[in-house]
Parts: sequence; structure tokens; C-alpha cells
Amino acid sequence: MTRDKKILRFAKNLVELSREHGVVTESRVAEVLNGMKRAELRRKLLVLKTYLYFIRRAVAQQTAVVSTPGALSPEALTAIETSFTQVYGRPISAVTTPEPSLIAGVRIRVGDDVYDASIAGRLERFAENVH
Amino acid sequence: MKALFVSLLIAFFVPIGLLAVSDAGTSDIVEMGQNPSGEESEAGSNALTEIATGFGVTWPNLIAQMINFSLVATVLYFFAVKPISRTLDERQQKIADGLQYAEEMKTQLAEAERERAAKMKEAAQDAQRILSESREQSKEMIEHKTQEAAAHAEAIIRKASEATELERQKMLSDVRKEVARLVVATTSTVLSRELSDEDKQTFSDAAAKELAGSAS
Repeated sequence: MTRDKKILRFAKNLVELSREHGVVTESRVAEVLNGMKRAELRRKLLVLKTYLYFIRRAVAQQTAVVSTPGALSPEALTAIETSFTQVYGRPISAVTTPEPSLIAGVRIRVGDDVYDASIAGRLERFAENVH
Repeated sequence: MKALFVSLLIAFFVPIGLLAVSDAGTSDIVEMGQNPSGEESEAGSNALTEIATGFGVTWPNLIAQMINFSLVATVLYFFAVKPISRTLDERQQKIADGLQYAEEMKTQLAEAERERAAKMKEAAQDAQRILSESREQSKEMIEHKTQEAAAHAEAIIRKASEATELERQKMLSDVRKEVARLVVATTSTVLSRELSDEDKQTFSDAAAKELAGSAS
């Protein structure tokens, strides 16, 4: 990623333009990209790469990736979204991803934060705590 | 030396004087006729006169000889006897000085010997004192070194004991970790095999709700 402060500031502004009610939406991102396509910018590729970096981080921060070995009930997903929205103070949407190595339970990742309630995680912590 | 020379002069002149005096006396007595033993005296003086005459001794010759002898004796005295006497005196003085010097040296030697003996005695006392101090110091040093060695040995034993304990703890920890790893692996395998999909979903839902509850 570049260290050019102007490009960084411009990419962050583009990310803010990509939000709708505080949530990065696909439609707003498409509008931003169309606008950039029409505009004549110097170092457009570098701006796009920086924008992509910040968009990925923003999406990760508004998404709760729920890893689970099997299916998860819609109520559980709703509870997760509600709870994490309250915790982080921004809209959080939950998406599930299969992870058979967890055996049972869930592991939730929001940005850089990881919450683990799986059997595999508990067994790992148990093994780590044995001295 | 001077006395010797004077003695020689006297020894030389006295017999001649006596001879002259006896010759003159004999003539006087014979002339006066008062000698009770006149024949014997006359015979003696005649014999002396004959001897003197035989040897050619006459008063003029005798006086001349005496003068000559006196001159020779005077010359000898001033040019031979006196320098010799002076030399002898100087040598005697030198000998006396040498003897005195030797005496002084003897005294000084005795003094030096006495001082040497005193110094030797003092040195022996010092040596004895130093030896005693050295023995004391060596004794203290031996005690100190012994204590140090004992402390060092204790430290080594303590360190070895600590190292053994640490090794034991490490070994126990490794064993626990290995057992835990085996337990985890076994549990994972068993749970993966034994839990049904329904059980897994039930557990996952419960875990999700638990996480949601704990997060809020």
C-alpha cells in the first residue's frame, strides 16, 4: 500500500462515499467505481489499490464471519448480528463459512477480533494451559 | 740509637783514659816513693808502657786519633746516625701507629662483631616474629579457603539440586503437555466420530447464542 498521504486521504473519502447508512453497499461501491472510471485521475491504479484495501477492511469490520462445522439456525445468526451491532456500534451482518475442523461450535471473526466457542478451540486452550 | 753511639764512645775512650791515668799515676807514685807495693806497681806500669810503646801509642798520636775519631764520629753522627735514627724513629712511629691502628681496628672489629651479633639476634627475632605471623596468616588463610571451598561446594550442590529440580519440572511439564496433546487429539477424533450432525448443530447454536450473550 502506498504511503502517499493524499492518495490515502482520497481513498478513505471514497470509502466514506461507498457507505449507505454507515454500511458499505455494493451499489454505492459500483457508483464510486463508475465515477472513478469517468474521472481523469493521475495514478489511478494506485488509488484503486488503496481503495480496495480500505474497502476490504471496512467490509471485514461490518461483517461477522461465523465459522461452523455444520449448519447454523437463522435465530442464532440473528442473535449474533444483533449482539455484535450493539457491541461495535455499527451494523454488523453475519455470514457463515463451513469449518469442519472445529468439530462443533462457532468461531466468529469481526475485523481483527476473533471470538471462539468451538470444541476444537476449547481443546486447544486446554492443551495450551497444561504446563 | 743516640744512646748506643754515646755508649760506644764511652767504651772506646774510657779504657784509653784509664790507661793514660794509670800511666801518669804510676809515675807520680814511683817518684814520691810512698807506694807500699812499689815493685809490683812499677812492674805493671812498665808492662803497660811496653804495650803502649809496642803498639805505637803516644800522647800526641792518641790525641790526634781522638780528635780524628771525634770528627769522624761527629760526621757520622750528623750524616749517618742522625738520618738513620730519624728513619728508625719514623719507622718506629709508623709501627706504633700501625699497632695503634691495629688495636683500633681490633676494637672496631669487636664492636662490629658485637653489633653484628646484636643485629643477628634482632634479625632472628624478626624472622621468628615473621614466621609466627606467617603461620597465623597461613592458618587464617587455610580456614578462609576451607570456608570458601565449603560454601562453593554448597553452592554447587544447591545449583545441581536446582538444576535437577528444574529438569524434573521440565520433564513433568513435557509429559503433561504430551498427555494433553494426546488427550486433545483423542478427544477430537472421538468427538468428530461420535457427534452426529444434529448434535453438532445443537452445540453450535448454543455456542453462538452464548457468544452473542457474552458479547453484548
